[in-house]
Amino acid sequence: MDVPDTPLSALYFDGTSARGHAVQLHLRQGVLRVLGDGIDRSAPIARMQWPERTRHGMRIAHFPDGGTVQCSDVQAWDQWSLAGGHSESWIVTAQQSWRWVGASVLALLMVLVSIQLWGLPAASRYVVAATPLTVDSALGETTLAAIDQTWMGPSKLSEEEQNRLRAAIARNLAPLPAGTLPEWKLLFRQSHIGPNAFALPGGTMILTDEMVELVQGDDKVLTAVIGHELGHVQHRHGMRMVVQSAVLGSLGAVLFGDFSTVLATMPILLGQAQYSRDAEREADAYAVHVLKAASISPAVMVSMFERLQQYQQDQADKKKGASDTPGTAATRQEKTDANEEEDSPLGMAFSSHPADAERIRFFKDAAQ
Amino acid sequence: MNVASMSQSDVPGMAHSPLQRPVQLPIEFTGSGSEYFRIWIVNIFLLIITLGIYYPWAKVRRMRYFYGNTLVDGTPLGFHGNPRTMFKGSMLVGVLFGLYSAASNASPMAGLIALVIVAGIWPALLKSSMQFRMANTSWRGLRLSFTGTLGGAYAAAMPLFIPAILIIGLASFAPEDAAPKENMWLLWTMAGIMLLCIAITPWLLWNLKRYQHNNYALGSLQTTFKATALDFYKLSGKAIGVAVLSVLASGAVFWLIAFGLATSGGGNDSASLGIASVFGMGFGFFVGMAVVFVVLKPYTIAKIQNLVWTKTGNSSMRFISKLSVRALLWQTIKNWCLVVITLGLYWPFAAVAMARLRLESVFIKSNIDPLALFGAARVNEGDAAGDAAGDFFGIDMGL
Repeated sequence: MDVPDTPLSALYFDGTSARGHAVQLHLRQGVLRVLGDGIDRSAPIARMQWPERTRHGMRIAHFPDGGTVQCSDVQAWDQWSLAGGHSESWIVTAQQSWRWVGASVLALLMVLVSIQLWGLPAASRYVVAATPLTVDSALGETTLAAIDQTWMGPSKLSEEEQNRLRAAIARNLAPLPAGTLPEWKLLFRQSHIGPNAFALPGGTMILTDEMVELVQGDDKVLTAVIGHELGHVQHRHGMRMVVQSAVLGSLGAVLFGDFSTVLATMPILLGQAQYSRDAEREADAYAVHVLKAASISPAVMVSMFERLQQYQQDQADKKKGASDTPGTAATRQEKTDANEEEDSPLGMAFSSHPADAERIRFFKDAAQ
Repeated sequence: MNVASMSQSDVPGMAHSPLQRPVQLPIEFTGSGSEYFRIWIVNIFLLIITLGIYYPWAKVRRMRYFYGNTLVDGTPLGFHGNPRTMFKGSMLVGVLFGLYSAASNASPMAGLIALVIVAGIWPALLKSSMQFRMANTSWRGLRLSFTGTLGGAYAAAMPLFIPAILIIGLASFAPEDAAPKENMWLLWTMAGIMLLCIAITPWLLWNLKRYQHNNYALGSLQTTFKATALDFYKLSGKAIGVAVLSVLASGAVFWLIAFGLATSGGGNDSASLGIASVFGMGFGFFVGMAVVFVVLKPYTIAKIQNLVWTKTGNSSMRFISKLSVRALLWQTIKNWCLVVITLGLYWPFAAVAMARLRLESVFIKSNIDPLALFGAARVNEGDAAGDAAGDFFGIDMGL
């Protein structure tokens, strides 16, 4: 019977009594042998739960069928354990080295940035492509029901006017090659949110009465607006947002979930804002494509933006007139500050649309 | 971070030698923030590049670090969870969780059904989660165990089901599109059920804690839980008082600041005063909410830990918890500030500091020699799915 030269002193617990026994541990070719007063047992360490190297804490090894050895001289244990044939996992090496940890932090940052910039948009495109269009429609219907209950009322436009606009837009879209347009349906609603248009997953688009009023029922401008919304439908942006926020949400939960749910939702907000801006740019490009096919100058969109800005200015003035208090100068200052913020890089990080100036420039360039 | 307690039970042939004077077994936490930081960052990196598959291994490394650095009377706790078993549990629960989120996204009805199913199996998951956690914890070579039964888990969760059944019953009984006027009784009943929910929350919490703390065992020794439902109601009353006071105090401070700004600005007319008070109230509200989170959470955590653990044990051995609200409050504020400043990188240091504070405020008073304890040779290990479910559905009720 051969026993290695360097035994290690430790405590042995047999698993049935809390009393510890002083023993000598022998480790040879990956087999542990525990020798003490009336104690002699052995097991291959591959079958035991073997401790990992840490700076703090003791070393405890568990036998598979009960029984524990415990050693408080951690340095002696680590040397003895390596000498006796235990090989350390690279994860433990990484955890114990600041160099490796620094590399992990860098690699983690790179992985997160790549996920945000390329991984997630590509993955969501792939997932959405594999999702049947019926899912979009179902989601669109649920959303429509929800917004009809909260911020929308039936349109005040006459049936004839609604049909005239639908027909005119359909006529303008007709020159586009067959099969390249997604299925679409146009609804009119009165809203509390002012002039606006949006697309729901599945191809339902909503124009608010205020939008029709703003452009005085000009079907060319409305074709531009609908062209932008069709871009969202064509690229299935709504569905992609659902997929992206789910993934961003779980990433946030992994990183910060056990600390704070508020912090965990930050990646969703910040990440989504960027995707949303990208989606708006894609939709604008699609709008230009639609307008060119319909032989309408993309400049109509520029006039729409100008009217929208005028409308916002009027709204602000109206509010100013209504509240006749000495604080008006301050209010006007705030208003310009808010406009400036829209175009500042800080504003971009939090805003969901590209700055108006950028979009106007885009349509102006397209018109030339 | 569970520390099981033990008390003498009369098992034949099991004699514990009583001591002349009771001894105190201290609990000490030797973990270090910088070391846990390294474990944590490598865990997160591996979690992300393996798309989450590494999760059970990450959890085992974390648990073994925290357990191994929790010394009860100088001897560390052991964590025996096997990542491979836990992996299977995680997969099962991950699929469940995926179906649950998909159902909630698909339609409100499917979401409701999924919620009912999860609520229905929640007590069973709680039981196996506790069983798994205890059976995989050891001290001086003795495995702990959890003796709670499945029936006991459902009985403990009873207060959760009463309002749920009422709401579902009401929802299915209520007419679809009745005019709001005829629906007044429905609104009032709903409001009544909400009030009932709030009123029974302390009772529910007591029930769950009693289920847990009556069933921890070390070998033949089992804990009993002596806190009463009344204790939990008193504690809730105090917590509500603390919340109201902190909201009022922060509101008052901000109103005063706003008032001061308005008057020092020179405009002493009613309009600027009005603007100032609106400003004050708006800010006061947000700061009030923040204060509630910062003050109320540490207050309740400290009070519940002290109540629950000090009432666990019996004449031979018991836990005493003396966690100071002020210390926990200070630690919480410090952790929050540093986590925000470091964009989350301080989090592992915060976790270690929190564990140290909460664990070291507990000790065990024993009338028997702890070395004379004997354990059962083998305990039922429970189901790893329960443990994973604890992580996913937040049913980990430990400490």
